[in-house]
Amino acid sequence: MKDKITKISLWLMVAMFLLAYPKLFGMYYVNLFVTFMVFAVFSLSFNMLLGFTGLLSFGHAIFFGISGYGTALALRHIEGIPLFPAIGLGVLAAVILAVVLCPVVVRVTGTAFAMVHLAFGQLMYVLALKLRNITGGEDGIGNFPIPNVSLFGLFSFPLKNNPVNFYYFALVILGICTWLMWFFTKTPFGQIQVGIRDNTKRIDYLGFKVPESKSVIYVTSAFFAGVAGSIYGLFHNLVSADGSLNVLVSFTAITATLIGGIGSFFGPIWGTAIFQILEELTIRFTEQVELVTGIIMIIVIMYAPRGFTGFLATLKLKWQLSRAKRRG
Amino acid sequence: MYILETKDLNHDFSGLKVLFGVNLQVKHGERHAIIGPNGAGKTTLFNCITGTYKPSSGKVLFKGMDITGRTPHELTRMGIGRSFQITTIFMNLTVFQNVRLAVLSKRGIRFNLFRFVDKMKDITEETEEILRRVNLIEERDFPASALSYGKTRALEVALAFATDPELVLLDEFTAGMSRDETHAAVELVRKLTEGKTAVLIEHDMDVVFSLADRITVLHYGRIIASGTPEEVRSNQDVKDAYLGDLEV
Repeated sequence: MKDKITKISLWLMVAMFLLAYPKLFGMYYVNLFVTFMVFAVFSLSFNMLLGFTGLLSFGHAIFFGISGYGTALALRHIEGIPLFPAIGLGVLAAVILAVVLCPVVVRVTGTAFAMVHLAFGQLMYVLALKLRNITGGEDGIGNFPIPNVSLFGLFSFPLKNNPVNFYYFALVILGICTWLMWFFTKTPFGQIQVGIRDNTKRIDYLGFKVPESKSVIYVTSAFFAGVAGSIYGLFHNLVSADGSLNVLVSFTAITATLIGGIGSFFGPIWGTAIFQILEELTIRFTEQVELVTGIIMIIVIMYAPRGFTGFLATLKLKWQLSRAKRRG
Repeated sequence: MYILETKDLNHDFSGLKVLFGVNLQVKHGERHAIIGPNGAGKTTLFNCITGTYKPSSGKVLFKGMDITGRTPHELTRMGIGRSFQITTIFMNLTVFQNVRLAVLSKRGIRFNLFRFVDKMKDITEETEEILRRVNLIEERDFPASALSYGKTRALEVALAFATDPELVLLDEFTAGMSRDETHAAVELVRKLTEGKTAVLIEHDMDVVFSLADRITVLHYGRIIASGTPEEVRSNQDVKDAYLGDLEV
């Protein structure tokens, strides 16, 4: 009971902080936080595959990117389309891509899975550059109209050129996504998911269909990556091959997940935050941000292979042990 | 009428023949041991029956139904359980979570994304019931990787039984166990196989003769004898090939 009260008050404090954030910090940090939320959700969707199913993808950006393009194209070409259907079309594009890919990818694991995704990722990237009349080539699609947020005419507020509104909008959408992904891991199916990670053979011999189960996970992961990608495109009012389909986008999720901690659900969120803070600090001294993140990466892999959350867990354990020792 | 039957089962690994026309017959409700020297094809036979391999030729019948080449998950749903010689459990999950997965499968809960699994009381109760039966209740919240060797083998066997199969195939469930552990495991299997049919691969002759109702001897991919323990023990071919002068 006491635990529950502490928990609830803690969450209330977090919620209050998030609500007051735009008032407390300037515009610059509001935008920074939106970027953080987008990549946190993207990394969480990536960790659904890596941390919870044991599948390392080198091309998770394909879902992030295609959804961004889908939303941008819908807003550019469909006259008067409301915001949510436009996001929906983008996410649908990501889901369809996942459905098309999954007969192949659910039957491979390990290196093959990673490489197939690297190949698809590069293919999508080159296609986005080459199909100029659809994607705008290197320039991407920019300055497309962004409708007001409205739900059944209950309320309506503008997003375009209004970072504070966009902050609240992204907070709600991405917050819901985070909760849904967390809930996913707590369902019976979430148990089957970690079962596949630990021992695919035993899952098969327990009577579960492995390829079908993996497909559901894969498409769900693509869905959430798609939501993140769509919001990202809206946020910048621009989608481009380099911004959303580049292999570096895929690697952002990988590094954030590794640094935050593969084994934990919240690891990728910590990882994304750590990365952004590092980038903010580094950029004051040098342009070579990758140099610093690379070094951090090496340190984490060598000394804290379970990432930041794993490191915290170890510290907690040590503290408990030493306290137990002192008490005898 | 046999619960499990193989008809003229052959298997080869790209040229290397391992099974030569095996006709195995397992009666309803018996504990049937398969013995034979290393490399006799015992595990390959299991793999052909439970869908790990598709046999090169021949048929596998379960309750008279042709199940040749069916996949493992189909066979599990039909009521065939299996344990492995190499422990095949979920190392990063707790003992409870391991068994709960089997209970979920048995209840047909496969794509449920709408409930907290921890709040499904009936599932939790049934899982704990199974843990009590296999004496793992005290290790309920241990990660499987933290169990002693004997306990991981018990969990392996528990997973084979937790889907409540009619027929269980146990591949050397005592492999690598100490005397005491073996004794406990034999008693466990005796208890769990009550009312079920079991096929066991076993090297330990004490285990075989204390558990098995009937024995089949496999020698270089061929069945050389099959019958009650007394019949097999007195069979001259078996003595020559396998048991030798062993006083059993």
